[in-house]
Amino acid sequence: MERQLSILVVDDELAMRESITAWLQKAGYQVAAAASGEEALGLMERHLYELALVDVKMPGMDGLALLEQVRRLYPETMVIIITAYGSIESAVRAMKAGASDYLLKPFDPEHLMLLLEKVGGQRRLLQENLALRRRLSEGECAGFEDLVGRSPAMLEVFSLIEDVAATDAPVLITGQTGTGKELVARAIHNRSERGFAPFVTINCGALAENLLESELFGHERGAFTGAVRARRGRLEMADGGTLFLDEVGEISTKMQLDLLRVLETKQFQRVGGTATLTSDFRLICATHRDLPQLIAAERFRQDFYYRIHVISIPIAPLAQRSEDILPLAEHFLDLYAREAGKVRPELDDQARRVLLAHPWPGNVRELRNVIERAVIVARGDRIGLAELSFLGTTAPATALPRSLAEAELAHIQQTLEAHDWNLTRAAAELGIDRSTLRRKLNRAGITRPGGGRR
Amino acid sequence: MTPDDRDPPRLTQPGPRVEVVPLGRVNLTAAHVVAGNLQALLGLAARVGEPRPDPEEALVANRGQYDARVVLEELAKGVGAPFRLGVTAVDLCLPFLDYVFGEAQVGGRAAVVSLARLGGGRGAAGVPREVMLERLAKVALHETAHLLGLTHCRAAGCLMSFSETLERIDRISLAMCPGCRVDLARRRRRIVGPDG
Repeated sequence: MERQLSILVVDDELAMRESITAWLQKAGYQVAAAASGEEALGLMERHLYELALVDVKMPGMDGLALLEQVRRLYPETMVIIITAYGSIESAVRAMKAGASDYLLKPFDPEHLMLLLEKVGGQRRLLQENLALRRRLSEGECAGFEDLVGRSPAMLEVFSLIEDVAATDAPVLITGQTGTGKELVARAIHNRSERGFAPFVTINCGALAENLLESELFGHERGAFTGAVRARRGRLEMADGGTLFLDEVGEISTKMQLDLLRVLETKQFQRVGGTATLTSDFRLICATHRDLPQLIAAERFRQDFYYRIHVISIPIAPLAQRSEDILPLAEHFLDLYAREAGKVRPELDDQARRVLLAHPWPGNVRELRNVIERAVIVARGDRIGLAELSFLGTTAPATALPRSLAEAELAHIQQTLEAHDWNLTRAAAELGIDRSTLRRKLNRAGITRPGGGRR
Repeated sequence: MTPDDRDPPRLTQPGPRVEVVPLGRVNLTAAHVVAGNLQALLGLAARVGEPRPDPEEALVANRGQYDARVVLEELAKGVGAPFRLGVTAVDLCLPFLDYVFGEAQVGGRAAVVSLARLGGGRGAAGVPREVMLERLAKVALHETAHLLGLTHCRAAGCLMSFSETLERIDRISLAMCPGCRVDLARRRRRIVGPDG
């Protein structure tokens, strides 16, 4: 989580104070300035600065006296002392008194940048440390690698992952596209005894049948045109580990039969080969299709179905677990801000409401893409409606309610929409009783559009 | 102050958006290179204006350098194109900094770039003239983007990243990262309209 440093410049010389402030603002830092040590302490009472750049020579309270006060009152604020060439001994005294560093006027730009980067790096480490400790102590957000969620549905998924990881049974993960089925499969693999062996994936929906066959089973040299050398298949590669068949609903019944044989005997042959090979792997499959329906339509083999879905893990669509939207968004903000090397922006209230109200047909993948894009276009440290405009949202400012009562009703309706009209959850978010919410709705004559209340 | 607060007001009058002002003994070719780059890479109509002397008010006698902030104040005076970019051969500094390659009023009217240090590096003989001019173009584009309200960027290689050494100027690109490009287009549209 990265935000630009908050810096206080303390210098009695106007030209110095103004030029340092302007320069730091241009570099994207949050900067305030004080003309004396006394003024600086006044500002520090109201705001926590992560760094203070303090001129050593000032009338009244000088830089060293201010340093002493800051060390005592605000130990988390780092202090860099600014001195002129002639007063190097005061820089030495400042370092002894606990200054983080010193700068000689006029600064070398390279030295200044290095110092700021050093301070930023130290603060980042401190924040990461604090965040990790908080997560560990509060169990604030149950997370499994990149799986993030706090909804009952996801907590159930996490608990199932823990349970099935200890076994070697085949697992079938079901859920709409973009819900994170592969992440669940990886989490199972990582927690299992096979965690240090390969996790081999293959997307069955992306390959034509003959290609899928050669990908899975491998082939011998000359098995078909273009097979200029022998190649190991995914079954072989997964030996000792886990084989993840994504979009398993897309494979042909013939291939299902072949796979069924492999699952039962753990033996197979490469395409064009005669030698019998063995591979010891755990099978995890995933699909967004309704397999019982495919079985009814005779497009999926019942015996293969029973073989692969010994344990089933369904993942609910994101729209049905709105409690996960904001934790996921925060997780992706961390991720993409770090990746882009940018300041980690915060979501403002309007952005949060927009994210909560969006139906997320593309599920977590869509949310991830939305946040990635918002991080790229975000300037400064906020993500608001402008950065989410591609979601088709408009500023609610264009239709602001006139009275307080109207504002309350609009907020209630928005919250209900965000919770799919679940009164209990909406009331919890609004901080009122369910019965109070019901009374307010009755009084205003509000009903769920196109249906009853939940 | 957020970057948006620093946006200059919307400009409606036609004509060049940036006047490139040759200062002191700077070579006119350098000013034309800068104007061409502003037009080609930032899409801002630019013209080379009348040469002016380096402002004497800006000379810091004990350092033998010119205070970039005072140069900007002098450049910003008077009527003409909405943005002014001075190109000078003298060495620029700030009261607290040893030197600067360029300086701009973020969201303001004036920016300045200096050739004084851009020919250095890579051995005693310095660099070939085309390398120096490419450095000049990078600094000029960077400072002009500040005039439109853009601040420094941390994306590796982005034109808007802060370059405190010649090596870093050589490493950055003449182009901006995707985030800065979006920001620039947004601000450019808001401030100077679609035609530059």
